[in-house]
Formats: sequence, structure tokens, C-alpha cells
Amino acid sequence: MENFKIQRSDQDRISTLSISGFLDAHTAPKLEEAIQSLIDDGRYQIIVNFSDLTYISSAGLGVFMGFIEEIRNKSGDIKMCRMSPKIYRVFDLLGFPTIYQIFDREEEAAARFGPVKA
Amino acid sequence: MIKMQLKNPAVLALLLPAGLLAMAVLLDLLILANWLNVMPTVYTREAFVVVGLLLSLPIVYRQRWASDRNVMRGLRSLFLLVGVTFTALLITNLDIFSIQSRMVNEGSLYAKPGAYLYILAWTMLAIVFVLVGMGTLRNLMFIKQQRYTARNFHLLMFFMLLYAVISFRNFENFSARFSFVLNDNAVSGAALFILINLILINSFRVSWLNYLNQKQKLSCFLGGLVLVPLQWLLFVRFHQINPAALFSPVLGKFVDMGMLLLAIYLSVAFVALMALLPSARLFDRKTRQIASLHHLSRALSSEFDFKRLVSVVVNLACEVTEADCGWLELFDGRTEKLRLVSSQPVFSADPTDRDADAEEALTRRLLAQREPLLINDVTKSPYAAELSFWKADLFSLVAVPLTTSEKVLGFLFVCKRLEYGFEQEDASILRAFGEQVVVAIENVRLVESSLEKERLEQELRIAQEAQRKLLPRVMPRSDEFEIYARCLTANEVGGDYYDFFSLARDRIGVVVGDVSGKGASAAFYMAELKGIMEALARNELSPKRVLALANETLYSNLQRDNFITVVYGILDPVQRSFTFCRAGHTPVLLMRQNSDRALVKEPGGIGLALDRSGLFSDTLEESRLTLASGDLLLLYTDGAIEARNEAGEEFGEQRLHEALKRCRQLEARDCIDCLVREIEAHAGSASAFDDLTLVAIKMI
Repeated sequence: MENFKIQRSDQDRISTLSISGFLDAHTAPKLEEAIQSLIDDGRYQIIVNFSDLTYISSAGLGVFMGFIEEIRNKSGDIKMCRMSPKIYRVFDLLGFPTIYQIFDREEEAAARFGPVKA
Repeated sequence: MIKMQLKNPAVLALLLPAGLLAMAVLLDLLILANWLNVMPTVYTREAFVVVGLLLSLPIVYRQRWASDRNVMRGLRSLFLLVGVTFTALLITNLDIFSIQSRMVNEGSLYAKPGAYLYILAWTMLAIVFVLVGMGTLRNLMFIKQQRYTARNFHLLMFFMLLYAVISFRNFENFSARFSFVLNDNAVSGAALFILINLILINSFRVSWLNYLNQKQKLSCFLGGLVLVPLQWLLFVRFHQINPAALFSPVLGKFVDMGMLLLAIYLSVAFVALMALLPSARLFDRKTRQIASLHHLSRALSSEFDFKRLVSVVVNLACEVTEADCGWLELFDGRTEKLRLVSSQPVFSADPTDRDADAEEALTRRLLAQREPLLINDVTKSPYAAELSFWKADLFSLVAVPLTTSEKVLGFLFVCKRLEYGFEQEDASILRAFGEQVVVAIENVRLVESSLEKERLEQELRIAQEAQRKLLPRVMPRSDEFEIYARCLTANEVGGDYYDFFSLARDRIGVVVGDVSGKGASAAFYMAELKGIMEALARNELSPKRVLALANETLYSNLQRDNFITVVYGILDPVQRSFTFCRAGHTPVLLMRQNSDRALVKEPGGIGLALDRSGLFSDTLEESRLTLASGDLLLLYTDGAIEARNEAGEEFGEQRLHEALKRCRQLEARDCIDCLVREIEAHAGSASAFDDLTLVAIKMI
């Protein structure tokens, strides 16, 4: 079974989670933990970079749904970027593009969080 | 005591010797009345006495209680016997010298009837004393019977009788009757020599002392301080002035030797007891330890209840080491923290205080060395703070790690309220004890987990059965179309769902759904979905309305990270149309009769329970397909395209389209079989697919 890895990088107010490998019911808790720790740190502006993700199951998709309400209530957001066509297809079928903003490049996603407020 | 010996068989056994004795007394009376001559008659009466003595020997041989449990009882009766006889001696102030001197002077035993009766009574008492006393000794000797025990005792009895009979020779010489060895002749001297040897040999049969516990040994010692001197006094007194010898020389010698035997035996036993006393405590402890280990192994094999097992373990650990209190801490399987599982006595302090102590120095020391730790004075040990912190009144302590070959299960503690309460030996005993405890705990855990596993499997089977019943068994039949559906589940229970509803005007509602996630939660939501769909579809609402309403209910009922994708459509055989909505689900494939390309029908719509009604309804599109004869519709769940081969390659939409093209001419059922075969062939030995559902609709 392929591994699932998460890399977190914080820049200004934006945190990026780069996820790679196989995101299914077994690995989903890792992602949950990662997002929860961002929330615990008070970081609600989150970009998820999908560039190295090879598979996502419904349980993996559910992780985002589990947090989005709370994050948006804190005027944050989860923005997604760099999905392979196959991964995008899964998101698209489910209608995620209407719920989440999905970008080709990470910078675009970052730009959409707007300027840092003083 | 004597009464006890006189129970039924004993009475019979005693009647004969008593009768013979009575004959001897009768002869005496006749002599007394001067009706018979003394000299010839004494031989006859002595013969009566000897046979009577022989016949009363069963008193000695009656084995009433030769068992280690009855040692104390035997000793008590012996004590009583000696005490009563000695008291009788004191009360009567037996003064046979005067009688004897009179007899010597007057040359006759029969000088005075009063003296005669006096002597007769004492003779009876003496002979009963000796016989019963020897019977008690014999029982003591036979408690731990060895190869020569019986032979040696028989020899002893034989030589006692032999020596007594030989001495009759000297009857006429009154002064010789009271002598011991010095003026005996060579034959009786040799017999006496052998007899004393035999007395000594038999006196070393004192292994019954080992069966006494410490307390009993102590009371035996105290009893012995009284009993042994008394018995020697009795022996000396009877040897000097032997009333039995006045009555009959044979009986006299027998009583004499019996007294000697009792005195020597009791002395040897007393000395042996003194030798055992210092080690009595140790011996006692060993015995208790063996008993505890034995008890533990019994508990091992019979105790499958964890709580009872640990309580037995702590109790026995305290018992073995004579500790004031003890407790057992085990690492929790989930949290990996130490948890107090049992204590003796039950601690009133909140045991959760000990939960967070995995970092403590004592725990670290035990984990590092995995050896029993003996602390003589807790207050002076480096672990004083953490130990006295939660239990103030402990002063010495032994801690034993319970280890398997790989890991440490936990620790067993025993402690006392005084410093230097334990010896190094206690630590090593507890270590051996601990090894057994580990086996027991592992066993119980194994049994519990396998029971738990069995229970879970059983419940999953029930759940699987229940879920299978949620899927339709019978396919709708019509002259206009065929429908066939198939659902394969990866786990015992899954989240895939399909169903058919009969609607008005021969229309059929068709639903295929997939609940996110796996296992039990998916299965529950699947059941909920079925209930909602059943209720809504029967209202003859449009697919869009049905799904919008379903979304409202599910959004408020599902956990936020769960969602459901579904395709719901209405097949109208009259209008030959399929009107459907897709809520985040995989698209519907349409294979036209004369086309060689699968059409992907993918109207907009997000999954159920992802968002409140607004966004859901806004994005949901309804699509209407007009169907011709021979057209084939395929509804599927993502399991069909996500099946992977060994290289990790998914079956994918493209391969599904190709496969559908190849089997488009088949009937619905064969078409599904064909697709399942192709998917399984792709997965090969990897056979790692998600839940998979296929529904085919073929127009006739």
C-alpha cells in the first residue's frame, strides 16, 4: 500500500499542506490531525497542494467537509490547488468545485486570500 | 481416651484378655483362701497372664489415625494419658516398699486382701497405660511409613514380650524381680541389649514433626517441656516400685520396658523438635510459598476473568511475602500508561494518581533493569518522594517487573509498614511468582481478545445479513425493458446501495448510491438513505425534488465529514424515457443500439449532505433521455472504476466504456456478469476493490 505523507509549511498567515500518496479511509485520520493542528494554532487560511496525491477516496474527501464549516466561520478557508486530472475528476463529479476554490497553481490560491491585514 | 479405645471391636478384643486375667485373679483368690498350693499354681496363673497380654496387643496395633492431619490429636491424648497416670501416682502416693517388704518378710503376695486389690488396680492402670501409649507411638511412627517401619516395630514388640517372658525364670528370687540388668543372666541380658537397640531404632521415627506448622511446633515444645520429664519420672518410679511386677513378673517387665520406650521416644522427639524449631519459620514460609504457587497455578488454569485473576495475584503475593499491602499496575494497551488494576487491601486513595507516573524514576529504573527491586527503607531511597506521595505508611517494598520476552506488562508491588521487612529471598520468590503471573495475564488477555473477536465477527455477520436484506432480491420485470443489478462488498458491510420503486403508470424508480467512508457507519447511513428514498420516491415526485428533499434530511442527520452520492431516475416504459438527477455520483452511461461509443451523461449536482438546500438545489440538474429498443443504460458506483491491478493501475472510466461496448448486445444480466468478470480480471490477484455496484437497464 502506498504511503500517505503531509508536509506543512507556514508563510505569513497562510499555511500550506502538501499531501502526497494515497488518501483513503486508513490515511484520512493523518490529514484530519494535520488540519486540526492548524486550527489549534489559529491558522485558518489553508491551502492544500494536491500535486503528489495519487488517490483520494470518499473518506479523504470527507475530511475537508468535516472542517470547512468551522474554518469558514473563523473567516478562513481551505483552497485547493495542483490537482492531477484524475484527482480533479473525483472532485468534479462530487461537485466540490462549487464548494471549494480549486486552482492550478499555489500562488493563485495564495493570492485569493487577499492582502495581509494590519 | 480409654473409652475411645473401647468402641465395639475393641470391647470384643478386650473381653478375652480380661477373661484370662480374671482367671489369674480367681486362682489368686483360691490361693488366698488356702485352697490351692502356691508354688504349682503360680506357673498356671503366669501362663494365663502371658496369653492375656498377647491377646491385648491389638490395642497397640489398632491404627486409628495414622495421618499427618492428626498428629496433634495423638500428641494431646498422649499428654492426657501421662498426666492422668502421674496424677494418680501423686494421689495414691504409691508406696509399695512397705508392701514389698512385708511380702518379702511374710513370703507371700497374699498377706493382705487390701494390699492385693491395691496392687491389682495399679497393675491394670499400668498395663493399660503402656499398651495405649505404645499404640499412640506406633501411629506416630506410621504417619510417614517407610520400608522397615513395620518390621522394626514388630521386632520391638517381639523382643519386649520375649524379654518379659524370659524374666519369669527369676520368679522365685524376689530380689531379682526388681533388678534391671546387673544381676540378670546372659540370655536375658542379650535380649535386653537387643531390645534397647530396637527401642532406640524405633525412636528415630519422628518425621511426623515435619507436618507441624510453626505454631504447632511451638505448642509441642511447651508440651514437651512438661511431658518428657513426667514420663521419665513415671519410668523411674515404676522401675523402682513396680506394682505390676508384684502381680506378675512378666507384666512387670513388660510395663518396665514400655515405660522406657515411651520415655526414650518422647525424648528423641523432643530433641528433634528443638533442632527443627529455629528453622520452623523458614520451613513454614516455604510451605506457604509452595502452597501459594500451587494456588496460583490452579488460578491460572481456571480463572478467565481478568479482575478476579489480578485480585488473586495480589492476595497471593502478599501472602507469600507476608506483606501488609500489595498492588499490581499494568500498562494500558491503548494509552500505554500504567494503571492500577488491583490492590490489597483496596486503596482508598484515588488510584488515578498513579496514572501519569510513567515518567517517574522508579518506573524508569524498573523498565531499564527489569529485575526485582528491594527497598529496605523507603524514606531513604531515591524514590521516596514519589512513593510516599501517594501512600504514606509504607516503609519497605519489593517491586517486580512482569516481563514477557519482548515487553514489560507492568509491575507487582508488595510492601510492609516496617523498615527491612523483606529479605533478598522474597524478591527472588516474587520474581518466580511474577513469571507465572505473566503467563496467567497473557492467557486471560488472549482468551478475552479472542472472545471479543468472535463476538465482533458474529455481529458483523448479523449486520451483513441485515444489510443484504436492504437490497432488493427481485428485479422489476416488464415487457418493455430488463433490469439487472449486482452489488459486491469489500468489507462485511458497505456503503453501496441500489433500489427499485414501483411507481404509477408502470414507471420504475431506480436509485444507485454510495455512502462515503467504510464499514459500520457507512452501513448505517446506507440504511437511512434507503428509508428516505423509499418514503420520498413513493410520493411520485420528480427526481430533482426527491433528491432535494433527501438532501435536507441527510444534511441535518449525517456527520459533517460524511456524504452520499446518488443517481436517482425514473424509467417510463410508456414514454420510453429515463429522467434522472446525479447528486455527485459517477455519470450514467448510455449505449445506443447502433452506436459503438458509450455516451457519458453527467448533469450537474453535488453530493448529498455536503451543503444546505440552497447550493444543492441550485446545482442539481435534471436530465431526460429518450430510449429506443436495444439501448443500454449503466449506473455504477466508483468501485467499478477504482478497482486496481497489482501495478496499482485503476480500471478507470475508459476501460469501463470499452467493456460496456463489448457486451452491449447481451441481455442485462449477462452484461453485468460480463462487466464484473472484466473488472475482476483487471484486479487479478490484487483483488483490492472497493464496494462495487452495477445496474443495467436494457430496452426491449
